[in-house]
Amino acid sequence: MLLDVVNLSKRFKHVQAVKEVNMHIQQGEIIGLLGPNGAGKSTTISMISTLLKPTGGDVYFNGKSIIKDPKSIRRKLGVVPQEIALYLDLTAEENLQFFGKINGIKGKKLKSRIEEVLEWIGLAERRKDVVKKFSGGMKRRLNIGVALLHEPEIIIMDEPTVGIDPQSRNYILETVRRLNQQKGMTVLYTSHYMEEVEYLCDRIYIMDQGEVIASGTNEELKDILSSEQTITIQVERLHKSFIDALIADSALKKVDNRDKTVTVIAPKKYPFFKKITGYAEQTETSLVSVEVKAPTLEDVFLHLTGRALRD
Amino acid sequence: MIAILQTKFRLLLKKPLMFIGMTGMGLLFAFFLGMGQYSKMMVPVFSNIENLEKTEIWEQLQESESIAFYIVSEKEAKRAVSEGKVEAAVSLSEDSYEIFVVSGTPNVQFIQHYIHSIYSDILLKENIRKEWKNDEDGAEALINQLEQVRENPLFQIQTGTFQMENSFVYDNRLQSLFGMSLFFVIYTIAFNVVHILQEKTEKVWDRMILSPLRKWEMYTGNLLYSFLIGYVQVVLIFTVFKYLTGVNFYGGFGKTLLLLIPYVFAIIALSMFIVSVVKNIQQYNAIIPFISVSMAMLGGAYWPLEIVSSPILLTLSKFVPITYGMESLKGATVYGASLNELIEPVSILILMGVLFISLGIGLIERRSE
Ligand SMILES: Nc1ncnc2c1ncn2[C@@H]1O[C@H](COP(=O)(O)OP(=O)(O)O)[C@@H](O)[C@H]1O
Ligand SMILES: [Mg+2]
Repeated sequence: MLLDVVNLSKRFKHVQAVKEVNMHIQQGEIIGLLGPNGAGKSTTISMISTLLKPTGGDVYFNGKSIIKDPKSIRRKLGVVPQEIALYLDLTAEENLQFFGKINGIKGKKLKSRIEEVLEWIGLAERRKDVVKKFSGGMKRRLNIGVALLHEPEIIIMDEPTVGIDPQSRNYILETVRRLNQQKGMTVLYTSHYMEEVEYLCDRIYIMDQGEVIASGTNEELKDILSSEQTITIQVERLHKSFIDALIADSALKKVDNRDKTVTVIAPKKYPFFKKITGYAEQTETSLVSVEVKAPTLEDVFLHLTGRALRD
Repeated sequence: MIAILQTKFRLLLKKPLMFIGMTGMGLLFAFFLGMGQYSKMMVPVFSNIENLEKTEIWEQLQESESIAFYIVSEKEAKRAVSEGKVEAAVSLSEDSYEIFVVSGTPNVQFIQHYIHSIYSDILLKENIRKEWKNDEDGAEALINQLEQVRENPLFQIQTGTFQMENSFVYDNRLQSLFGMSLFFVIYTIAFNVVHILQEKTEKVWDRMILSPLRKWEMYTGNLLYSFLIGYVQVVLIFTVFKYLTGVNFYGGFGKTLLLLIPYVFAIIALSMFIVSVVKNIQQYNAIIPFISVSMAMLGGAYWPLEIVSSPILLTLSKFVPITYGMESLKGATVYGASLNELIEPVSILILMGVLFISLGIGLIERRSE
């Protein structure tokens, strides 16, 4: 194993932000860390990056404790923080020069590294522009680029696509994939967008309230729901009595509603159509549609926690 | 560390306004406060002498550079003193004077000394005229000679006997120059030192931690830059005043440049300490003007500490770096002290600096654990 996270815990004054997290990452994998805001993702990866001391557990890089020897992993590590950690008043190139220099890259080598990174993140033409003037997507790309300068073996990314347009997001996802395939980089990718980790990652850890609540490949995770089906019901107007009727049905596992859409998880053999139309009739609810969907990670999360992944 | 300095100067070149603004403000305030009439000490005068404005006494009173005498009625003069609007009022007669005060500040001694010298001067001339009654030309020649000697003394007679008595010399131009420079540089320094906090919140700091840079290089790079920029600002202001407006540094210009170093260091350290105790940058930005203005008031940047008599304020002033900055700068100039004699304020500044900087870095490092 390249990286072993063992019983990693962090307690802040009033919050247990991370509880006994275990993760194992092999060289060349793309690992997803999925969870809603406040799940403890950033805290976990800050500890893995040696920026934060754990209150319990340890992380082993090639079998060596990173608490005892943080320097050995730092050199191999590229960290992309959730924040835009750049000098906004400098140009893209000046930022790369600074972060290159502090990483001990000099002269010709620095020049060629900057060229290559600019190509990777697609900002070669905008190198002379001040970062402040960049779009959100371009800033995010440079934020990634800076972490690539010293050719790390592992790259840890904390929500690198937050708040940007779909096009930039796709560009970033493709870049991550290419880094993994062409450069053999191991990736730890944090997000609260399940589509991203579903698309990108070989294996996924799902976190909630400081704990890893499930892990495995995409398929393995969805198998958790194999005996169940997710049903999405759209109504014209949502009555509380309709929700109450669904909750009262002991066969239905989780009920989640948003606006005019209700999502329930039911056993595979459940005669859902008959039942649901029945409840609708009883509570004078007009149905717009009833749909059975292939399960998503969102559903897995709903199944495990009883809450939606987002908000 | 070189890379940090280089980047900081790059950022300065892209955004020089803060630095230019603070330097400009320092220059402007020092200039206008230094020349303004209102910053002379105002002393009301009343008299039973007719046509006082035409007498030799009045003529000589008007020559003072630091006291502005003005004629009022006896009632007004006494009221001004009792209400504390002026420190003293003077009653003038042909051959005697009287000073009305509420409390005996060093300034009162200064006023008394000044008036006394005028009266003895006039008395001396009168005596000469009386003695040489028969030879008026001879008398005038002697008086002329006396005046010439006074203006171009053969020996540099210690002009400020009062400094010997540990009393107060007031040079308004230097007071304003020192006060305003020490005051405005606090902003320049404080708003540069806070970059450490900013880089921490924006996580540029984390990137540096993950790089092979050492912690001490990160702090030194940031603080050294703040030091250089603050020091350049005060040196610039001093130089402008020395060479463009011709302010008299009493031969202590070089010494003042040296004495600015411990002061700038102490302010860097103090800023570092404040950075380590505030919750966030907004709080820091709100607190700095408050702290710098209070320090300027307590430490004698706005008005000389010598005229402050409240024991509470004087005790508080002991905890403010500006106090020692002003003390050492004035010491090196108007009081003609050597660097050796200024070891006390300088050591206090260095001590404050070391204390605040260790506390500051210690606290910040502990908080990020
Ligand atoms: N420095 C800190 N001090 C106190 N609490 C913190 C700190 N950092 C994070 N937390 C808390 O820890 C929990 C997990 O936060 P975080 O790791 O940022 O979650 P995520 O990245 O998954 O959104 C949250 O409840 C957050 O408020
Ligand atoms: Mg986070």
